[in-house]
Amino acid sequence: MEHDIVIGDIEHTPENSVIFLDQIQKIYKMGEEYVYALRGLTIGIQKNEYVATMGPSGSGKSTLMNIIGCLDTPTTGSYYFNGTNVAGLDDNDLAEIRNREIGFVFQTFNLLPRSDALHNVELPLIYAGVGKEERTERAYQALEHVQLADRASHKPNELSGGQRQRVAIARALVTRPSIILADEPTGNLDSKTGEDIMRLFAELHDQGNTIIVVTHEEDIARHAGRIIRIKDGLVERDEMIPKEKRALVH
Amino acid sequence: MARIFQDTVEGISMARSALRANPLRSVLTMLGIIIGIVTVTLMSAFITGLNDMFHETTSFMGTDVYYLDKQSWSGGNWAAERNRPNVTQEDARQLRRRMTTARAISVSAGQWNIDIKNGTNMLQGIEAVGVDADYEITNSIGIEKGRFFATQELQSARPVCIIGYDVWDNLFHKGDPIGQTIRAKGYPMEVIGVAKKVGGMFGLFSIDHQIVMPLATFFNAFGDPYRSLTIGIKAKNVLTKEDTKDEADYQMRVERGLEPTDNDNFAINSEGEFDTQFDKLTSTLNLIGLVITSLSLLVGGIGIMNIMFVSVKERTHEIGIRKAIGARRRMVLMQFLTEATMLCLIAGAIGLALSYSASAIINSNMLKDSSVHINFTFSLIFLGLGLSLAIGVLSGLLPAWMASKLDPVDALRYE
Repeated sequence: MEHDIVIGDIEHTPENSVIFLDQIQKIYKMGEEYVYALRGLTIGIQKNEYVATMGPSGSGKSTLMNIIGCLDTPTTGSYYFNGTNVAGLDDNDLAEIRNREIGFVFQTFNLLPRSDALHNVELPLIYAGVGKEERTERAYQALEHVQLADRASHKPNELSGGQRQRVAIARALVTRPSIILADEPTGNLDSKTGEDIMRLFAELHDQGNTIIVVTHEEDIARHAGRIIRIKDGLVERDEMIPKEKRALVH
Repeated sequence: MARIFQDTVEGISMARSALRANPLRSVLTMLGIIIGIVTVTLMSAFITGLNDMFHETTSFMGTDVYYLDKQSWSGGNWAAERNRPNVTQEDARQLRRRMTTARAISVSAGQWNIDIKNGTNMLQGIEAVGVDADYEITNSIGIEKGRFFATQELQSARPVCIIGYDVWDNLFHKGDPIGQTIRAKGYPMEVIGVAKKVGGMFGLFSIDHQIVMPLATFFNAFGDPYRSLTIGIKAKNVLTKEDTKDEADYQMRVERGLEPTDNDNFAINSEGEFDTQFDKLTSTLNLIGLVITSLSLLVGGIGIMNIMFVSVKERTHEIGIRKAIGARRRMVLMQFLTEATMLCLIAGAIGLALSYSASAIINSNMLKDSSVHINFTFSLIFLGLGLSLAIGVLSGLLPAWMASKLDPVDALRYE
């Protein structure tokens, strides 16, 4: 394929990638002016990769994250998710992909404030139409996975920041998605708690999950096996990080 | 189907937590619906009660009795009918001779607004009725005390009378009236009986507020023997009463020598005429009630819609979260719709409970001695809840639709 790319020794194609962005453009109209948030960007990500996406504010990093997360659609270009072009899908189909294939972890946790931890984790399963019993069991398992089973009936305001983020991670895991997409996951946490969360991500990666972390912190990005740097709506640098150069969390 | 059920369950739990988060606001919002439902159900229960009472009242007339009058009871052309010939004793005599399907035919005359005195005790606005022997049958007169008129009394214009139950109550305070002399418009007559209580509305058409006397006595007391009379015709068989009516009509036309192209110059009335009149009245009441209550429900619905808009605005971020983790449009729509509907249903249930208690309290206090009672029927529960459901869906639809249309990225960014 024309736009196939080689990063390190891996050749990325729409067919072999979990995510393959092909010449993605995103153009916003602000009044009479057009703003080019993304200017024809091409990225491929393989299964079980741990990727950090970096860039200063205004680089198009957030737009990229929204498009990867199927929260937004590109103006032009193709987006292959597990080999299927999802660029032209409608709201409901995108909702279904978000529900089944993508686990979101946000900087501000984005838990439902009035629901307890268990219900927050159950929520994606509710939208997936999973029955009550199976749903509760899977939600418990996910909470156990992040060592919060004993906090299942606590509301977010009864949990610490780190605990909240772990509930959010349990919610992201519970549907067994193709990718976990984390947007500044440690941005609202102190550095010690942030380290704990990054250790959890490393574990999840070791267990076979595909993880994409969007961050502007070099320390956080250095946990990943690959760093994609975005600038002015284009990939500035896309490099594999050798094991010995990665941050140690264990 | 299972999905819709799950969305609804999630909608209900979401609505519950939303209601708990803002209890005061929820109650204030529901107030509009509560008032609306109370108005609707009370109004409807009152009209039902009015209807019940009316039909109870008119049933004493009997469904198998027709009243031949100069004028029709309901909605005739009064000015034109006024010029018809009077109904006379001769008309009655001819009908008695010719009709084969009548069990009894009576003649009576009435005069409104008579003052009656028992010593210094006075009762105003009573109807005096002059009757013949068959009146006891056609008008189903029951005797509480004493007796009905003897043939001799009827023929010889004896100054005797039977008084209605309420007349007895008011004039004698239920003391023994038999043999006492009362004065009707100054004319003395002896009480020989008290009629059984009929009850019902106003006592207006019933014997309760009447005094009854022989027809000849009536003319002696009140004059004008050429006034138009009422002929009561009771059918032999209630099942073929229409035949009796047709026969009366036919024989009356023969008697009056009407050509086939002429209209009737008399009217044959029945209890049904009253019903028609009354139904006109209640349908007017219903219409007024409908306008008032739909206004209050409209206001209530607008309140719900308003609060749902606020709710959607407040929870924009939450909608963003839900959409990000995979809520489809329909699910978001269902959830807000469920919330609005639940608000309305709770309000409807409260309204029903209030109007049920209110009708019980009103019935046992204000309307204790009245013949009208508020009739809170079972169907009102369905009416109330059905209306609440409809208002919930209608007022929740637009806010819920707007919530479902929110862009997930914008909604997530909203704080």
